Amino acid sequence: MSEQQTAMRIQGGSFLLEDAKPEDIFTLEDLSDTQQQIAQTTTEFAENEILPNIPRIESKDFAFTRALLHKAGELGLMSIDVPEQYGGLELDKVTSALVADKIAVCGSFSVAFSAHVGIGTLPLVWYGTEEQKQRYLPKLASGEWVASYALSEASSGSDAMNIRTQAVLSPDGRHYILNGEKMWISNAGMANLFTVFAKIDGEKFSAFLIEAGTPGLSVGAEEHKLGIRGSSTCPLVLSDCKVPVENLLGEAGKGHHIAFNTLNVGRYKLGSAAVGGAKIAFRNGVRYARERKAFGKPISSFGLVQQMIANSATGIFAGESAVYRVVGAIDASLAAMDKSAPNPSLETQKRIEEFAVECSILKVWCSEMLDRLVDDMLQVHGGYGYVEEFPAERSYRDSRINRIFEGTNEINRLIISGWMLKRAMQGRLALMPAIQRVMDEVMSGPVAREEQTGELAAARAMLASGKKLALFCAGVASQRFGTTLADEQEVMAALADILIEVLVLESCILRTEKMQGTRKLPVAMTRYYAAHAFGVMERAAETILSAAAEGDMLRTQMAVFRRLTKHDPENTVALGREIAAAMIDAGRYTMD
Amino acid sequence: MRILTLVRQVPDAEETIRIREGKVDLASSKLVVDTMDEYGIEQALRFREQGLAEEVVAVGVGPTRMQDALRTALAMGADRAIHVQTEVMLDPIALSKVIADLARAEAADLIFSGGQQADWDSHALGAAVAERLNWPQATWTNALELNGSTLKGRHDTDEGSETFELPLPAVVTTQQGLNEPRYPTVPNIMRAKKKEIRAVPLEPSSATPLALVTGSEIQVKARRNKILDGKDAAAAGRQLVELLRNEARVIQ
Ligand SMILES: Cc1cc2nc3c(=O)[nH]c(=O)nc-3n(C[C@H](O)[C@H](O)[C@H](O)COP(=O)(O)OP(=O)(O)OC[C@H]3O[C@@H](n4cnc5c(N)ncnc54)[C@H](O)[C@@H]3O)c2cc1C
Repeated sequence: MSEQQTAMRIQGGSFLLEDAKPEDIFTLEDLSDTQQQIAQTTTEFAENEILPNIPRIESKDFAFTRALLHKAGELGLMSIDVPEQYGGLELDKVTSALVADKIAVCGSFSVAFSAHVGIGTLPLVWYGTEEQKQRYLPKLASGEWVASYALSEASSGSDAMNIRTQAVLSPDGRHYILNGEKMWISNAGMANLFTVFAKIDGEKFSAFLIEAGTPGLSVGAEEHKLGIRGSSTCPLVLSDCKVPVENLLGEAGKGHHIAFNTLNVGRYKLGSAAVGGAKIAFRNGVRYARERKAFGKPISSFGLVQQMIANSATGIFAGESAVYRVVGAIDASLAAMDKSAPNPSLETQKRIEEFAVECSILKVWCSEMLDRLVDDMLQVHGGYGYVEEFPAERSYRDSRINRIFEGTNEINRLIISGWMLKRAMQGRLALMPAIQRVMDEVMSGPVAREEQTGELAAARAMLASGKKLALFCAGVASQRFGTTLADEQEVMAALADILIEVLVLESCILRTEKMQGTRKLPVAMTRYYAAHAFGVMERAAETILSAAAEGDMLRTQMAVFRRLTKHDPENTVALGREIAAAMIDAGRYTMD
Repeated sequence: MRILTLVRQVPDAEETIRIREGKVDLASSKLVVDTMDEYGIEQALRFREQGLAEEVVAVGVGPTRMQDALRTALAMGADRAIHVQTEVMLDPIALSKVIADLARAEAADLIFSGGQQADWDSHALGAAVAERLNWPQATWTNALELNGSTLKGRHDTDEGSETFELPLPAVVTTQQGLNEPRYPTVPNIMRAKKKEIRAVPLEPSSATPLALVTGSEIQVKARRNKILDGKDAAAAGRQLVELLRNEARVIQ
């Protein structure tokens, strides 16, 4: 169990309506000694075992990658989320996010690792019977076995409920006979255990545990991929595959719970892995910029190179701030749980599901941050960025998958705004009264700007305006589209963009405030990020308002928009140079 | 048999070192266990695992932050740790007094210390401790084997290597090649939380450094920033040799 809990128990989605205080949130600076040591062990494993072996991993030497996974298992890195009675350690989620972050120095290995510990192992932890857990979990926690999760099919990825794989009970009632085909299954080429989703009698969505080698189960050829080439991705073919009835996972017809709840964890972990991947790509880029000379100077002395470095560093800072805040809040909620409750697994999932919006935000924001960062770091390398001799090229290719799996970013954006609105309708989130208050306030004339003081005054003001902007836009859009709002996907996604920026910006501000002025760089990065985030929010709000109104109505609303978005600009050029200088000096991402 | 294994904290080799007020700025550096000392910890653990030693005690001398390094040693597998607390930077000779006193108090049979320290680069500590205790010492070892109270081993010489044999108690300094130090595993990190780190304040009179560091400066190596196109490996090889010979002048 986590020993240090600074985060207060909070309600999912509440970041929009309530103003959290710095002491309410968890930050990386709050890590316990134990968490730091586990992070250090993971870092050493990454630096000494993964980095020097990337060519072998990338050559699809799966025997080697498997052995490396096993080594990670021997270090205990695969047992963080597994209960003690099944060979695990059952530590907090911050620790498991830290491991995902530190191990992410190579996209291929990181995907193999996460597919195993996340979607591969968690369904069993949560839904397995005592017998199933005894049988499989110790082998998965030690890395002796590798796990794989097979949900997607050629004709249904996002639309996962529509899978065609069928299961039928055998006449003697002892087996389910599965038929169908799965697509893009991570780890398939080296897995020992598959969690396969199928519909019993074409109706009841269910999950099955299938061991490799089961007659009727075959693994197809490796896909040739843009990136993460050293990870295994294959189709699975089930043809009259006989699965013992004891291997039905969870209840027949309840497989969608397994599929969806596992995704929440997958999403915040993808967020932390993206932050980890960003750090290594950044280090490579900054070091290159220090060494490379052009026009007689190191390219790191050029403002435009510094700008890419500052953007990237700030992305890492913001990503870390948001990821550990959310995961810390999840831990606080889990720590407050009554462990003797009748079904602790179910309660755990419920508590994590409470943060579904936050998990989706981390997934979307961090994957897009990483994509921008690897693009900038490749650009810093110039022509050398485009050739395979330098790691920038691989990072660039490896990053791209993150916007596709664990729910595409489009699907996740729809979840973010959809979930908030649904909660509001159910009366579980006081969104409607808040919208009403903001609408009354802005429509009744000039908006009083909240007085903010201190170094982060401008950032604070932007955050306050951003929250109001989100509520105002949600109000305008619901008035205009009513119950069909969900069909206006572009509006929903723009709304999601404002929510995303609100959470990430607030996390930066709170983390920096929690440091109480002990460090200068976080202040600079928060101010720099605020300016960027506010721009995103403004554009998204314009998209929403102009789609929701026209003529005089639109003019009135744009007047409100301008009042809400009035702000003093930050000198991002000076801030960017300050941030870049520190990074270039350190030769990596730093906060000192 | 009880083994004391010394643990020192040095800036991470991966990090950029800064100088502040004439001193290496340790406050802003990431500090790690000196790799040289890790070989000693690893060797002690192996002896214990082979049933040749009963207890491995990690010893650190320094300020509060020293505890991080000791916790790493415990997480690697040391049984307990002793932290001699002091804010004073001790030179190897003064430090050797502290270690020798502890070795007597703990009735140690074997002391491991890194052959040199990554920060000071002095090779004096092991020898000074042996001298104070009047024990034999083996330096720069890269292979060790224990039979009863006889320690056999090997160390490198300029043109080859030497094997040796000595009776315990003894002081042994370690170096790269002796073994492959383990990482602390997650279960061991959790177990280490329950292990003891005994803190003993250092009596100011018991060890006074005579040699004081009065200033530091960092040499910045200018790089040549040359990247050879590796498409034609043979040509690149020839070009590299030519550059190493005529430009860098590091080969003949
Ligand atoms: C390398 C790799 C590894 C993978 N690993 C696994 C694994 O281990 N297990 C597993 O089960 N799956 C895995 N997948 C599958 C992955 O989860 C799916 O590819 C993903 O969910 C998208 O589904 P799809 O490919 O069918 O795309 P589609 O659903 O066809 O989507 C195509 C496009 O349409 C958009 N779109 C779809 N529906 C909507 C909508 N309702 N509204 C708006 N836009 C929409 C999408 O955002 C996307 O841009 C993996 C995929 C890859 C490439």
